[in-house]
Amino acid sequence: MNFDALTIVYILEIVVGGLMVGIGVHFVPVGGAPAAMAQATGIGTGTVQLAAGSGLTGLLAAGLMMSVTDNIWPILASGAVGAMIMMDATMLTGGWIYAYAVGAPFASAKVNYDPITGYSQPPYVAPGTVGQGIPTVCYVSGTIGALMGGIGGAMIYYPLMMTNHNPSLSALFAIGIFLVNAVLASWNIQGTIEGFHDPKFKRWPKAFRSCLVATLILALVAVTITGGA
Amino acid sequence: MDALSMGLVAAMGALATVAGASEDIESDIGSQSNPNSQVQLAAQVGNPHRIYNKAISGEPPANALWATTAAVVAYTLITKFAMPALFAIAIGASVAALFNGVFSTSAYFGRSASQRRFNQWIYLDIVRYTTTSIMAHAWITAFCITCIAYIQTAILTPHHPFPMPVIALIWGLTVGAIGSSVGDIHYGGEREFQWRLFGQGLNTMLSGQIVRKAEAGLRNSIDNAWFCTKLGGPLTGLGFGLTVFLDNWRTTVFDPVTQAGLAIGMGLFFVIIMNLYNFYVETSIRKKYGPYPGYKGDIAA
Repeated sequence: MNFDALTIVYILEIVVGGLMVGIGVHFVPVGGAPAAMAQATGIGTGTVQLAAGSGLTGLLAAGLMMSVTDNIWPILASGAVGAMIMMDATMLTGGWIYAYAVGAPFASAKVNYDPITGYSQPPYVAPGTVGQGIPTVCYVSGTIGALMGGIGGAMIYYPLMMTNHNPSLSALFAIGIFLVNAVLASWNIQGTIEGFHDPKFKRWPKAFRSCLVATLILALVAVTITGGA
Repeated sequence: MDALSMGLVAAMGALATVAGASEDIESDIGSQSNPNSQVQLAAQVGNPHRIYNKAISGEPPANALWATTAAVVAYTLITKFAMPALFAIAIGASVAALFNGVFSTSAYFGRSASQRRFNQWIYLDIVRYTTTSIMAHAWITAFCITCIAYIQTAILTPHHPFPMPVIALIWGLTVGAIGSSVGDIHYGGEREFQWRLFGQGLNTMLSGQIVRKAEAGLRNSIDNAWFCTKLGGPLTGLGFGLTVFLDNWRTTVFDPVTQAGLAIGMGLFFVIIMNLYNFYVETSIRKKYGPYPGYKGDIAA
């Protein structure tokens, strides 16, 4: 293969995509297993699983868009929108269970007032728990996280597709690079985070550095695989 | 947009809704995923139980495995043996259900046996009649997701460029993520702990104190499925159905070649509506339920 200027651009795009995924995971409000018992604020599942679910839904949308155009902007936008739809549908229906089945009002234990709505939080935190449900700030943060994850996934897929012109190979490699970055970010936040208002969010530079190194190595490998197409 | 495409998108939405519901109920019967932490803990804090215990992995990878297995088998039968798609997908889903049965049984035996020191028994009757229910639900999930993948790759225009198994892998991951985020709360937040004050999450002090008695006799996982079918399952289905339907609706109604901007704009519109709806839910339940009575802090409600 030729290692020309275009290849370097592709490598940079993959790296930027990986970084978007790594930082985007920090925005997604996940409460892990405790949230499934309405014991912690956020979505009751693991960081990587939710980020992968939304980012890869975005990848499907981006893949469909890339089959009809080579213009990068609609591909990125379509990926972002697909991921946001998945994340928002999940948070909305999950919120209904907290609201109408568990019967608990949404509350964050990390801030006294919701930065977006200004609603007070501590009086609504159930005794013996660290918040529950998905308050507006977490919902908006999750949407931003999905936006970044969707763009990131599409941005990894696009250069791979331009290099090897094989959708299945590109998709699988994009899924792999996506998961590596999501797992690195998940370690950084130690499993649970409420969103951009959470003190843990300030740790993102560490994830940035590790994702940069990991994605750079993966990008170098990825662009050399030209596939059988 | 043509009538056939619109019908197909509607069918995909319906299949996704069924897949989401069956996925959640499968995980509730098997007690997989997040709430299983309490089932695991129960025996350790002196509450041996008759709940099935099969935390094979997180729900997304598990369901990705079932869906991909079904799709790979179906794809092979369709392409190499020219079998009709519906039969091929049904056979694929059956193979996936068999995989599920093997994993479930070994997980139940392994996990229960490892808790012998806590007096947790292995109940063979539970294995006999619960495993088949789990497999049946896994079959429905795998069948529906493989059908969606087939429609996307072979019938719906523009055809999706990813091969059927990759699409099944991604939808499997997504349905697992949604089931784990939505339906599990109904099982973990409500069904596992019913003798505490209503209207709040699990108090940390009650960890592991799961309900072990049923309406009649001892509670088992089929009782849990009966309860979770009322809300957790359907809402999981709604979440996954919304994802599949809305995402494909916008690229079917608006031609992605000539109206890409409109397709993206419509998606953004859905996102904004959902954000506003969540804000409405938050505001209305704060008014309806009010603050917790025991709160003694300075911040006014």
